[in-house]
Amino acid sequence: MFLIGENLNVMSKKLADAFLLRDPDPVRKMAEAEVKAGMDMIDVNIGPARKAGPEFMEWIVKTVQEVSDIPLSLDTTNIEAMEAGLRVCKRKPLINSISARPERMAGLMPIAKRYNASFIGLTLSAEGIPRDANERGLFAAEIIAEAAEYGILEEDIWLDPIVLPINSQQVQIQGCTEFVAMLADLAPLCKSTCGLSNVSNGMPTHLRGIMNRTYLIMIKRYGMYSAIVDAFDNELYDIAKDKRPELEALVHRVMDGGSVDLSKVSEEEAKYVKTARVLLGQTLYSDSWLEI
Amino acid sequence: MAFEIPKIRYTGKIQEVAVGTGKRAVRVGGASCYPFYRFEGEMPNPTRVAFEVWDHRPEDWQEWAVEPYKDVIHDPVAWAKKSIDAYGAEVIALQLKSADPNGMDRPADEVVRVVQDVVNAIDVPLIIWGTANDEKDADLLRKAAEVCEGKNVAIGPVSEKNYKQIGAMAIGYGQIVMASTPIDVNLAKQLNILLGNLGMPDEKVLMDPTTGGIGYGLEYSYSVIERDRMAALTQEDVKLQHPVICNLAHEVWKTRESRLKREDDEKLGDELKRSILMESITAMSLAIAGADIVIMRHPESAKLVKEMIGELMK
Repeated sequence: MFLIGENLNVMSKKLADAFLLRDPDPVRKMAEAEVKAGMDMIDVNIGPARKAGPEFMEWIVKTVQEVSDIPLSLDTTNIEAMEAGLRVCKRKPLINSISARPERMAGLMPIAKRYNASFIGLTLSAEGIPRDANERGLFAAEIIAEAAEYGILEEDIWLDPIVLPINSQQVQIQGCTEFVAMLADLAPLCKSTCGLSNVSNGMPTHLRGIMNRTYLIMIKRYGMYSAIVDAFDNELYDIAKDKRPELEALVHRVMDGGSVDLSKVSEEEAKYVKTARVLLGQTLYSDSWLEI
Repeated sequence: MAFEIPKIRYTGKIQEVAVGTGKRAVRVGGASCYPFYRFEGEMPNPTRVAFEVWDHRPEDWQEWAVEPYKDVIHDPVAWAKKSIDAYGAEVIALQLKSADPNGMDRPADEVVRVVQDVVNAIDVPLIIWGTANDEKDADLLRKAAEVCEGKNVAIGPVSEKNYKQIGAMAIGYGQIVMASTPIDVNLAKQLNILLGNLGMPDEKVLMDPTTGGIGYGLEYSYSVIERDRMAALTQEDVKLQHPVICNLAHEVWKTRESRLKREDDEKLGDELKRSILMESITAMSLAIAGADIVIMRHPESAKLVKEMIGELMK
């Protein structure tokens, strides 16, 4: 699985000062660390960047490229900042993201074409967040059709099903999973990705990893091409790179409705089983789901 | 082929909780089917109506709410007794309003004396409802648990912020806790787990899902209680298999529609009849969603609800 590191992020408390003072050193270090952690791409997230967006994006892209040739995913809602970043990328960049909102598609698709960039097609429309797998499919079709108008190849579209937090939207996770399972039929030429960590957003920090990893196993099974992830979760890396087949097999068994005797598996395996049951909607979520 | 009536397959059962002691102790919960679906399972205990009594004379009640209690409203003990003797209350819910830091802010020690007087004067089960201020309640309800030793009272609301302090005292003095969460199944489950980890016995936990009055969020409470019951009864969610209590009286009686008189707005009709209907419809809706105890104010609304529940339990 292709991994995109999420840690070069304007929300990062560690990097806040560096961003503010345009201090390149911490940014370089973070990029190097993500490369070392095995990421295939780095997401450069500068947020809405209402002030000095283009200058900021150009600076951060150049700074990262001083230490690595890793391809970049550029993450901002500021269209001018996006273009400024694309202009200086050395490798084929990924635009993060274009939703099915008409103004986003009209603003960003011509730029994607001009700079030969791929883009993340976010299955979200003017009406908001999709309610189920079918709405996701509808928005994906709108994005694919619109991109075709601009002559963008389907292989340059990375569809994002929108992963929502399990602690407030447990049913929504099943809609998301269902959509991922449909992708191979719906858009076989497109790639796919997702903001994996969003599944555990708002949860106690020490519990986020197990939730992220279990969900990764589930969507990986359905052919999810890539994910935007915490670069420093080594266990997650191992799963994504096929180094934990036994864990994957275990979660698959739960997904297929097979019974698992929790007293006969290791403590680690029991955590994956319990988490999969929550993600499948078999157990109602609570912060203490691993303890019961 | 003969027609077969579809039935829900229940896999769980609501925990039965006994409140109070002796002959007049009341059992709630114990159901193995959705509320009043007695054609599909057992519902051994009816929804109980608890009469609320305030720990201090209320200042802002409508005169038609005061009327049934006007001779006793200054005296919590006499008030509780009248509710039992004259209006047939099977449970008393003592509201510790005067302790509220945003109101009179009476010291815990002073308020607890009222609790003690009431619990010693009555033989029906007692529910003790604090201020919903986490800090004040941590102190107040701990002391209440202590002075009610041996009476098997229900104390609450207990939140994620103060469950340790109150829960520990409740365990020590054998009291029941009311686990309170803001209209959310996941948080309700979480608090029950935390109380379980603390050592709270399952048969000592009631759930307060947070109640809205009719027209003021009742539907949210309804949905959450419904969802709690679905998880408890059909998804074997042991941590949600607790009886539900709804503290609805003050939610209903504070609304504009229960305050306006006929002369304020002719279209709204008679104020007494209207308020009673608002209270009883709220209570009945919550009972149908799954409430096991409803805390009510007016004897007429309580009577109506008891009659309707009686019909459904026949």
